[in-house]
Amino acid sequence: MSTAHISRGVMLPAQVPEYFKFVCPPSSGGLNPDPQPPTFNIRRNLLVGMDLTLPDGGRVPMWIIEDPDNKQNGRTFPSAPIRIPLNALVNADVNCQGGTHTIHWHGIEPTPMNDGVGHTSFEVSGHFIYQFQPRHAGTFFYHCHKNTVLHFEMGLYGLLLIDPPKPAGSAVEGPPYPIGKPGFVAAYSPGTGHVIPYDVEAFWVADSIDSRWHTLDHTAFMQKCVPEDPVNPSYFTHDGFFNDFRPDIFVLSGLARRKSDVTPFRAAESPLVAPTLRIGQTLLARTLNADYLIQQYTIGVDALVVAMDGHALGVPPTEQYSHPIELPAGTPYRLTSAMRRDLIMRPTKAGTFPVTIEFLNQITGQLLYTARTSITVTL
Amino acid sequence: MKRREFIKTGLSGLAAIAVGSVSLPHLFRFEALAAQRGIDLTMDAALVEMVDGSQVFHWLFGTPASGPSFPGPVIFASAGDTITLNLTNRLYEPHAFQIVGTHILSPAIAPGQTRSLSFTAPAAGTYLYSDPLNDPVHRVLGLHGALVVMPASGNTPYSFPTPAVQQLFNDLGTTPQFPRHYHSPAGWQPDRFRIWLQHQIDPSFNARAQADYLAGRPSTLTGAEMSSKFLPRYFTINGKAGTFSAHDPGVALEGSIGQPMLVRVINAGLFTHSNHLHANHFYVISVNNSVQENVLNLDSLTIKPLDRVDWLVPFKRPPDIAGDESLPLRTLIANELGLRINGPNGSVGFSQSPLVYPMHCHMEQSQTAAGGNYPQGSVAHFNFLGDLDGIEFPNTM
Repeated sequence: MSTAHISRGVMLPAQVPEYFKFVCPPSSGGLNPDPQPPTFNIRRNLLVGMDLTLPDGGRVPMWIIEDPDNKQNGRTFPSAPIRIPLNALVNADVNCQGGTHTIHWHGIEPTPMNDGVGHTSFEVSGHFIYQFQPRHAGTFFYHCHKNTVLHFEMGLYGLLLIDPPKPAGSAVEGPPYPIGKPGFVAAYSPGTGHVIPYDVEAFWVADSIDSRWHTLDHTAFMQKCVPEDPVNPSYFTHDGFFNDFRPDIFVLSGLARRKSDVTPFRAAESPLVAPTLRIGQTLLARTLNADYLIQQYTIGVDALVVAMDGHALGVPPTEQYSHPIELPAGTPYRLTSAMRRDLIMRPTKAGTFPVTIEFLNQITGQLLYTARTSITVTL
Repeated sequence: MKRREFIKTGLSGLAAIAVGSVSLPHLFRFEALAAQRGIDLTMDAALVEMVDGSQVFHWLFGTPASGPSFPGPVIFASAGDTITLNLTNRLYEPHAFQIVGTHILSPAIAPGQTRSLSFTAPAAGTYLYSDPLNDPVHRVLGLHGALVVMPASGNTPYSFPTPAVQQLFNDLGTTPQFPRHYHSPAGWQPDRFRIWLQHQIDPSFNARAQADYLAGRPSTLTGAEMSSKFLPRYFTINGKAGTFSAHDPGVALEGSIGQPMLVRVINAGLFTHSNHLHANHFYVISVNNSVQENVLNLDSLTIKPLDRVDWLVPFKRPPDIAGDESLPLRTLIANELGLRINGPNGSVGFSQSPLVYPMHCHMEQSQTAAGGNYPQGSVAHFNFLGDLDGIEFPNTM
């Protein structure tokens, strides 16, 4: 055949080390290179194995990030939420076991060594103290960024919430505000310093699981590391199936259902997933796609989208080019992986209102599962 | 880096053609961009090397002078220009040309035939051109490329910016939230742009097209089977993947703090991407040629098949770096900028300067090649070369 050949690209001799770093990051650990005096300390351990229990008693092996300072709820899936006051200077002491790992603080924007991406900095061997200082209040998350296609799927992620200060005189506990309880959220509100109160908090963190993936080693299907010739075709693996995601289990904030099980999620399982509030109260729902599918959220009450990806819509100076978005009851919106929306709801009628999250295949658009939960409004 | 060199590297890896009165005079200093009134575009077969070295058959647009390219050559024009294409089909089934989201469409061109298509360049913005026949087979097998239309005037990429987009561009380099780089003029410089044309490849379909091509007969692939059974094994940006796309000067975002850059993101494939940029939230200024009224500032965004989405990356100092925001980074993070971390297997140490971050799709299947080999998929680098005061970070990479 006399057809043209087009090259995958050319690696110049001077680029060999950078190309090698990309496929085989260095590992390091210890203290932060430029330590600042912290005002807020957290610790995390990864990875820790645990089983996710299904309603029929079945179990799925998961990997999670442990909070060693929370003896009661430090080992959960998703990994334990982190709440940090706005502008705190954070020391995050991360211990790694079972190989190297990283933590990427998704949406937080520090230096590369504090960003937790191996191929643009390093992977943590032993322990490392990440430092960052969040300057936007909102909904973020954290996850391991090594062989991410597998490690994120396995459960090495959790919510990361940056809480704004409360107004002077408020009796609410925090910041950080207690999970599910009253607090304050960053939102467009010029009269109140762009911080508004809520009474009840919900987490809709939606994920799906391909149980075939949950029996693999943490370095599954990675490339061979040869410094002198990092992209030699013979060092690539060809037996992997990470391009083929076929979920059979669907998860809402850690509560799991098999594909065949359409049982709605109930307040008795978790009030964070099926919240209850009174007329006159304000509900804050934090939604996150922690998945590899397209998710379509439909909420049965009127809502206002006040923030996306941890930035409050309309708030000057950097968000003044946007404004909050009204979402009338029943109006669907879609999130793909890693996107977040924060919604405020102030229901005016008593009743039980449906919330559905439809999981759609990312290539065909086929509907794979509908997760059903609800908002209960009382007089 | 001089402006002329910048233009060259800004288009590296992408063949390019300029037409008519395109209003970026410096583009014409790039030798591949000879201004021409008529463009000869061929549709031909080629073997494209994947990141793991495998060879995959494609149908591609190209020019008689430079041959087929993957993706097809970028066409630059000015709003209102008349563009004439002379389209030659060198394949064994009918092919055609359209600009997605417009009424611009050629008739079907029989094998071996040449047909001309003249049209007026649409409103300024980012477009995808493709072969719409047997949808989505011809596009997904490689017959696609980018069309960039420049406005005749103004300080934004558009002829008719919304008030919010106009305000954002007016504020670049003139407000405390977007301080100006010491050596750069205020505002966005039109040569500060990238095209990220994302695509996905399922070689089983390409192999069937190849068998028909070698037998000299039309392809029997159907749109229905491709739409229902497509399972990509390779994920590309501007035809490259993994370490090759991350380090490609036409893909990587590069500049100093205070030098905003426009990214024209296009998805030519069938897989829905969710692009995540580290280090800076980006402003979504145009979606499918609708200049945005509500300019969202996001770190992750859906890029559906056929989408054209323009991002303004502010190149702000990453806002959450711990410590005193008034200190220059060479002072605040002096140790990180000077650090070398030893690599594995006896390799050389890796410098942490300049500041390098990734952009990657978070639908992480797209970060693989041949079913694994993370992160050899749809990934770019985002490189901060220097600080706001004009002083570059040590270049010890």
